[in-house]
Amino acid sequence: MLVAEGLHKHYGAVRALRGFSLCVRPGEIVGLVGENGAGKTTFARAVAGLVALDAGTLRVGGVDVAAEPRAARAALGWAPQELALYPTMTARENLLVFGGLSGLSRRESIQRAAELSVALELTDVLDRPVGKLSGGQQRRVQAATAMMHRPTVLLLDEPTVGADPLTRQAVLSAVRSVADEGCAVVYTTHYLPELEALGASIAVVKGGRVIARGSRTDLLAAVPGRAVLRYAGAPPKMAAPMSDPHTVQIDGSDVTITVTNPAAYVATLLATHADGVHRLRSIELSPPTLDDLYRQLLQATRHADVVSP
Amino acid sequence: MSSAPRARSRIGALVRHEAILLARAPGPLIGYTVMPVLLMTVLRPMLERVASLGLTTGMDGTAQAAAGMAVMFSLFALKVVGAGFLQERTWHTWDRLGASAARTSELLIGKAVPMLTVLLVQQAIILGFATAVFGLRPAAAWWPLALVAIAWTGCILILGTAAATLVQSPAQLSVAGDIAAVLTSILGGALVPAELLPSWLRAVGPLSPGYWAMRSYRAALVDPAPASLIGGLAGLGCFIALGIALSASLARRRTDG
Repeated sequence: MLVAEGLHKHYGAVRALRGFSLCVRPGEIVGLVGENGAGKTTFARAVAGLVALDAGTLRVGGVDVAAEPRAARAALGWAPQELALYPTMTARENLLVFGGLSGLSRRESIQRAAELSVALELTDVLDRPVGKLSGGQQRRVQAATAMMHRPTVLLLDEPTVGADPLTRQAVLSAVRSVADEGCAVVYTTHYLPELEALGASIAVVKGGRVIARGSRTDLLAAVPGRAVLRYAGAPPKMAAPMSDPHTVQIDGSDVTITVTNPAAYVATLLATHADGVHRLRSIELSPPTLDDLYRQLLQATRHADVVSP
Repeated sequence: MSSAPRARSRIGALVRHEAILLARAPGPLIGYTVMPVLLMTVLRPMLERVASLGLTTGMDGTAQAAAGMAVMFSLFALKVVGAGFLQERTWHTWDRLGASAARTSELLIGKAVPMLTVLLVQQAIILGFATAVFGLRPAAAWWPLALVAIAWTGCILILGTAAATLVQSPAQLSVAGDIAAVLTSILGGALVPAELLPSWLRAVGPLSPGYWAMRSYRAALVDPAPASLIGGLAGLGCFIALGIALSASLARRRTDG
């Protein structure tokens, strides 16, 4: 379990963390999303024990990072944003050294490296120097090094940046497996569809704190999606069937409706305005995505930043 | 697994890892071992002649050539030590070591043991060559010579670690290391016998760790008085202490706040 409460960190005049709070339960995957400079990496480095916090409490696997830093580090698997491997050593040697650093015996490290190489599709490249692997293969090796000792908390900072779809899929599968074993996973990314694939809950970070936190369903419930109704000829005149906040745009024969639950809205609309249905050629429903949520939250807080004293 | 075996696993993994890294890039160390042997062979007759003319009062030509080259090229090898720490920073792996369960002391031991071994082998080959080919013999016993080699190697290791904290890139380390190695060798009397240096250079010689290394080697090779050996080793001890103080800043980088 990972618990962060009221974390603060200043670098001179820059406030990297401003009351950052987050709780990740065992088996849960939390996607940490936010703009560059929002505080995600500072938070990750604080969890890794590389940043001394100005205030707040941080517990990794039930251990206070400030009071027992070594024990907290032992519970953590961390793959930083930048590639941090030994390029002249093979993938296997990299896995063994990080396994050994975690306190695994050589035999345990060898066994675990074999398991992870299968899970992350690295078996063919295990004995090649990391510096000669493709970017995607290097990313997988890095993710594997963080999982070597079956950590209680796994922190992956943009593990698939620049990776191809196959690499991404392999990493996501391995992360899902680790979480299924009870590991609390923090997954930092800019690729929001990855979080949908992982079934992750979401924490949106802005200005050094978490501004929204919840399941994908809960967070998306308040985000508008779109429905486009295409008619043969001019669209019929329609009165709003619901009181939900919505916008309607008419462009020639197309009607674009932006509303929180576009499918329900369109169903009600068509039931109450049956006269135009025979001229309806197609309906295109676009439910809200995490990208929409992300944009909405950032716009809302940007506005709030401007108006707040 | 209990705490002690886990610590042994961590140190063992680090020692193996560091040995692999050194083995994958052996070029500089081979160069810094072969070059002094060649130079010693070339310089020894000249240094014998200088000694026979009474221009030097310390070591004979063989001892001066062997000790001088051992000191000078271990100073060049200091760059290898520094590079070992610097590349951890350029590869971003130092942070990962710092975020591991290993203690700082375990990290330093794991990195130091293979480097110390390699530097000792370098000293052993240079002095061994002089012994086998040119008949180099210690003043009284072999153990003072071994003690000096170990102390000087430890000093190089610590100073190399400190150098890594002071530079930002491999290029800086290379340039600064080469200049410092030559300057320190000159001031210490490793390249040219100290007696042949201008008086103003001799006056600043004790500021160089090379000076204390040469003084220690001279004690082990030609001056059996214990005070000479102790004096030389004490000087090296001061530089080791200075290096440790500087290196502590590297350990502090584990927490950047």
